[in-house]
Amino acid sequence: MQKDILLTMQEDLERALQKPAAKRRWAMLLDLRKCVGCRACTIGCVSENKLPPGMAYRPVYEYEQGTYPKLSRTFLPRPCMQCDNPPCVAACPVKGPEGATWKETMGDAAGVVRINYAKCIGCGQCVPACPYQARAMDEGNFHTEGTPELMRYESMPSFEYFQKQQRTAKHQPIGNARKCHFCVHRLAVGQLPMCITTCIGRAGYFGDENDAQSLIAQVKKAAKIQILKKGAGTKPRVYYIANEKLEVLYG
Amino acid sequence: MGKKSDATVSGLITGKELSRRDFLKTSALIGCGALVGSQLDFARGLIARVEAGELTHAEAYELLKAENTLYTVCLNCNTGCGIKVKILEGVAVKIDGNPYNPFTLNPHLPMSEEINKAVKVDGAICPKGQAGHQGAYDPYRIRQVLKRAGKRGDGKWVSIPFSQAISEIVNGGLLFKDVPGEETRQVTGLKELYALKDVKVYEDMAKDVAALRKLKKPEEKAKAVEDFKVKHAANLDKLIDPEHPDFGPRNNQFVYMWGRKKGGRSDFSKRFYETFGTVNGHGHTTVCQGSLYFASKALSEQYVGNTFKEGQKFYWQADQENAEYILFVGANLFDANYGPSNRTPRITQRLVDGTLNIAVVDPRFSKLASKANRWLPIKPGADAALAMGMIRWIMENKRFDAKYLSCANKAAATAEKETTWCNASWLVKLDKDGKPGPLLRANEIGLKEKETRKDKDGKEFEFEYLVAIKDGQPVAVDPNDDKEAIKGELFVTVELKDKEGKPVAVKSGLQLLLEASQEQTIAQYAEICGLEPQLIVDVAKEFTSHGKKACVDMHRGPAQHTNGFYNITTLMYLNLLVGNFDWKGGMVVASTFNTDGTKSDKQPFNFKKISPKAGKPFGLSIIRHDAKYEESTIFAGYPAKRNWWPLSSDVYEEIIPSCADAYPYPTKALFSYMGAPTYSLPAGHTNIEALANLERLPLYFASDILIGTTTMYADYIFPDLHYLERWEFQGSHPNMPIKVQPIRQPVIAAPVQIVKVFGEDQPISYETVWLALAEQLGLPGFGPNGFGEGQPLTRPDDFYIRMVANIATDGKEPVPDASPAEIDLFLQSRQHLPKSVFDVARWQKIVGPTWPKVVYVLNRGGRFDTQEQGWKDDHMGNKYGKYINLYEEKTYKCKDAFTGKHYHGIARYVPICNTLGEEPKEFSKGYELHMITQRDVRMTKSRTITCQYLTDSMPENSIIIHTSDAGRLGVKTGDQVRVSSATNPKGEWNLLHGNTKAMIGKVEVTETIRPGIITFTLGHGHWATGASDVTIDGKVIKGDPRRAAGVHANAAMWVDPHLKNTCMIDKVGGSVSFYDTKVKLERV
Repeated sequence: MQKDILLTMQEDLERALQKPAAKRRWAMLLDLRKCVGCRACTIGCVSENKLPPGMAYRPVYEYEQGTYPKLSRTFLPRPCMQCDNPPCVAACPVKGPEGATWKETMGDAAGVVRINYAKCIGCGQCVPACPYQARAMDEGNFHTEGTPELMRYESMPSFEYFQKQQRTAKHQPIGNARKCHFCVHRLAVGQLPMCITTCIGRAGYFGDENDAQSLIAQVKKAAKIQILKKGAGTKPRVYYIANEKLEVLYG
Repeated sequence: MGKKSDATVSGLITGKELSRRDFLKTSALIGCGALVGSQLDFARGLIARVEAGELTHAEAYELLKAENTLYTVCLNCNTGCGIKVKILEGVAVKIDGNPYNPFTLNPHLPMSEEINKAVKVDGAICPKGQAGHQGAYDPYRIRQVLKRAGKRGDGKWVSIPFSQAISEIVNGGLLFKDVPGEETRQVTGLKELYALKDVKVYEDMAKDVAALRKLKKPEEKAKAVEDFKVKHAANLDKLIDPEHPDFGPRNNQFVYMWGRKKGGRSDFSKRFYETFGTVNGHGHTTVCQGSLYFASKALSEQYVGNTFKEGQKFYWQADQENAEYILFVGANLFDANYGPSNRTPRITQRLVDGTLNIAVVDPRFSKLASKANRWLPIKPGADAALAMGMIRWIMENKRFDAKYLSCANKAAATAEKETTWCNASWLVKLDKDGKPGPLLRANEIGLKEKETRKDKDGKEFEFEYLVAIKDGQPVAVDPNDDKEAIKGELFVTVELKDKEGKPVAVKSGLQLLLEASQEQTIAQYAEICGLEPQLIVDVAKEFTSHGKKACVDMHRGPAQHTNGFYNITTLMYLNLLVGNFDWKGGMVVASTFNTDGTKSDKQPFNFKKISPKAGKPFGLSIIRHDAKYEESTIFAGYPAKRNWWPLSSDVYEEIIPSCADAYPYPTKALFSYMGAPTYSLPAGHTNIEALANLERLPLYFASDILIGTTTMYADYIFPDLHYLERWEFQGSHPNMPIKVQPIRQPVIAAPVQIVKVFGEDQPISYETVWLALAEQLGLPGFGPNGFGEGQPLTRPDDFYIRMVANIATDGKEPVPDASPAEIDLFLQSRQHLPKSVFDVARWQKIVGPTWPKVVYVLNRGGRFDTQEQGWKDDHMGNKYGKYINLYEEKTYKCKDAFTGKHYHGIARYVPICNTLGEEPKEFSKGYELHMITQRDVRMTKSRTITCQYLTDSMPENSIIIHTSDAGRLGVKTGDQVRVSSATNPKGEWNLLHGNTKAMIGKVEVTETIRPGIITFTLGHGHWATGASDVTIDGKVIKGDPRRAAGVHANAAMWVDPHLKNTCMIDKVGGSVSFYDTKVKLERV
């Protein structure tokens, strides 16, 4: 009997976490042939990371092509690409290893483009720098704002970057740039990123692509892979499988 | 090429700083507490520790801890996926899938998997499930009982003590004397309606009424009524109308209706209303896919003695894990259909690999169609034409499974390794015009005499054999004979002779289906469908190229039409023709663990034995279900005033309008639970008008979580618990091959008021209302000795914990005991729950030695078989396992209450019609667009609008229209248009008291829909549910405009011209007509 790929990928994670950070390469692969456009990933992520209204780390774009009755519909989830050559990092004025945002090289989050909310000055320069619109500013809004009561669950913490992040008043990450981080707080404990684990179409793959035994490595090897905005030279760590040419759809 | 995003990414920081205090200053709903202030300090302390490196990553991630995780069941739609709720400081902060539950992981974890390992696995759930806790933490929830302080529906309320509300409802009186115009209006309380209590009188009257109904001649019936009046003279005052004893006792004037209700809560209410003695407990099935249920019920009617009964209200769906070919008809399983989380992962990889081919029949290029091998953009309502076209081709090309179809009884089926069989070979008598009627009985032709048999309780009954042709000769058939196999001839047209030698013309069931299919050519069927004839042939060929691993899987699409019953039946015929029932890769039935303890001796609580002895309610129901017009004392020729429903029940669209029509009798009190018929029904606005009718509905009370689109018209609203705060047994769906019983249990405390009932503190809930009514009325079966001497039923958990024990002990083997460590975890993870909902000592005392097993299932959110148990060799592990009707004698024997014509024993294509049988051509004049509806996975009908994660992702819906139609109308994406129809030319909801809501929505132009068709997603466009302002105790609570956004165009759906206060209906199967209306769009 086959396993649910969610379990296979969790086993892959356990193996990967045993390796030194330098030998591991976190990557995500999205098979759009299996994406049904449900947005469980979008909303699972919003809930996991306590995102304010109007912000999604992982929106899902929808494309229609053709004319009736010869049609196609494609759904394209767009997380942060965790670029190996991230323009957002270059745009940040708070530089250095103790800076506000950087491509992590150490620990469980190695390979992820991180933000240190404590260092982020909220200038917003990283936001337009990203060719994928993967960054946005947290303006401090709440979902139950404008109703009779601000509900407590909203000001309960998220666990981004291994820390309790309490969105209250001026406290970080309010006023900061925010983005997808592959749920490193979950990876570190052997759990899949929220978007992958709640994917009802099992369209998402995640793991250490350096591990040839891992599911993501095998799927990547067997299929024709596309990346978004190849021409931007960002070297994304998010790969796609699709029947359609994504450079045509996504641009 | 269109590009859309569901989330707008916010722009640069504005410098705006929002203080938490600003929110606290805003008004809160009555009775709600302030925010806990210490949370911030506490959290900051922890942050400091993490920053100081005192915690490991695993410690820091508090959502991964078993003691912070509780397993229960979602109810943001009726799929009811298993969920794990992650709780911090008593607050539900995150919801994910329960990996023990096969709805979220495929295959799921076996129950034997350790809790500490399972806690690490988050199963996949849909966005509604992910946003579920926002429903619990909805600022618009009500916390105390509200009583209206103005006219029904004008939005003015006062909060009153729970006990006062119960006392007023029970005792009646001048309840609204403070409301202008109602100073002298006397309201009848439930006490007065609890009229007939004597069980013996009850049963005696019921027997006499049943006999009276069977009398055919009017004079015999009239005499029986007179006799009844003499015999029951002492108790006539307890009847609704002594001239019509078939109306039953006054108890029936209490009508109870519900929307979404599952096991447990169903049993709880049933205990009340059956003991109270009303026949009027009605669900909502027909607004969902009623005709799918009731067509399947008709297919599953069993031959008992000499008649058909015991049909199951259920349906089949495909075994998606093993089918090679599935024709999905009006089934949109990536957005709905019980449901996305469980059905999607079972097919996406198979579609990519090509091990499964699917064809999708839908006027919309749905998400499912976009992954399909074929799309058939059929005209709405033509599903039976497609099915009959396919059937014709399959029959004429001999592509059916003759081996299966010829099995005339169980023995023959068993010999063919079949677990089901049908009556394709049985003989049906023809009338003088050659039309099929009843099945031939063997004694009619002197083939075999009737027999006296005994049922399993030793009761005698008369059995009549049926007839098939074998080797050219008639043979007597006992459908359930498992010894002597009979394989009947399939195509029979013959004249036999009866005992007197008179000719009896007969045809076999399959012959009749062949002839019905030949009523039109494939080209004609294709024309009706709006499809190419070759497409019908191609799909028929594909469908019959995979043996038994091909299925027709259907849902709302074909069912919610005026011809829904026949649409479904013809589609199910396709499954019969390939004989796929119970086969691996074929059609599946749902299978669940039993809750009421009647399944095995090992279950500790047999509810039949621990329930009060009450007379079974009798008399006509307000919706006239399970009854024939011709048998009633109010038969007055055709057409009847309203429909009668011998084949269906839970006919939602009938309940409130029947009360308004006082047909067949006046209603005195209405109680509604978790339903919004005004919103969810087609032409739901007709229900608003009916609810405002004080004369016909003198008392209306409701149980709701907030002031809803229907309950806003109530006299009293009792706050209910959210699904995260309460019990229920979710059951299963026919697409789930694994036997399950997911358990919904309280995982957080409720914000509602705590009250005392039977001396017990408890949050106000649905059950609390029933308990308090029972306490005031002195109803047996409730209270300190409710379950027997010294065995109280004074709280909800008294009821449900017994059911949990039954689940744990059902089946061949009970579940194992929870280990001591697991029991510790059970307690530790529930520390935040108050004693009023979590009382370990009480529970342990109730279930006794079963306690560790109870803990074992509660720790896993229910009971689930393993994946391996889902199949056995070539068959499903859980089987339907019995006879199926191809020819439906019972259906034939029922007559249309409007025309007096028999219903069809063999289903076929019939056009869309109103109740009088007329095609609605007049209604279509000037209204050229055909309106249907659809679901988006982010919205359920009426309850998900409270979840802001969902409205943030989908702030509004739109009117979806084809490019060519948009061009003709001169509208483009984003334009605002008004939807109107012949029965709602103004295009608005009349909400009463001068309030209206226009049916205006934003246009979305697309190629992904058949030209001529428009659609909108359900779930937006609310006028209550927190969408508009209300006044409570003189204080205005401002509504949230997000909840009013978008358009809800149900009020444009046609009102039946004969019924006048109800939508169009499927007279046979009960479904409402959702997809038949023609509308027009006007730019505003």
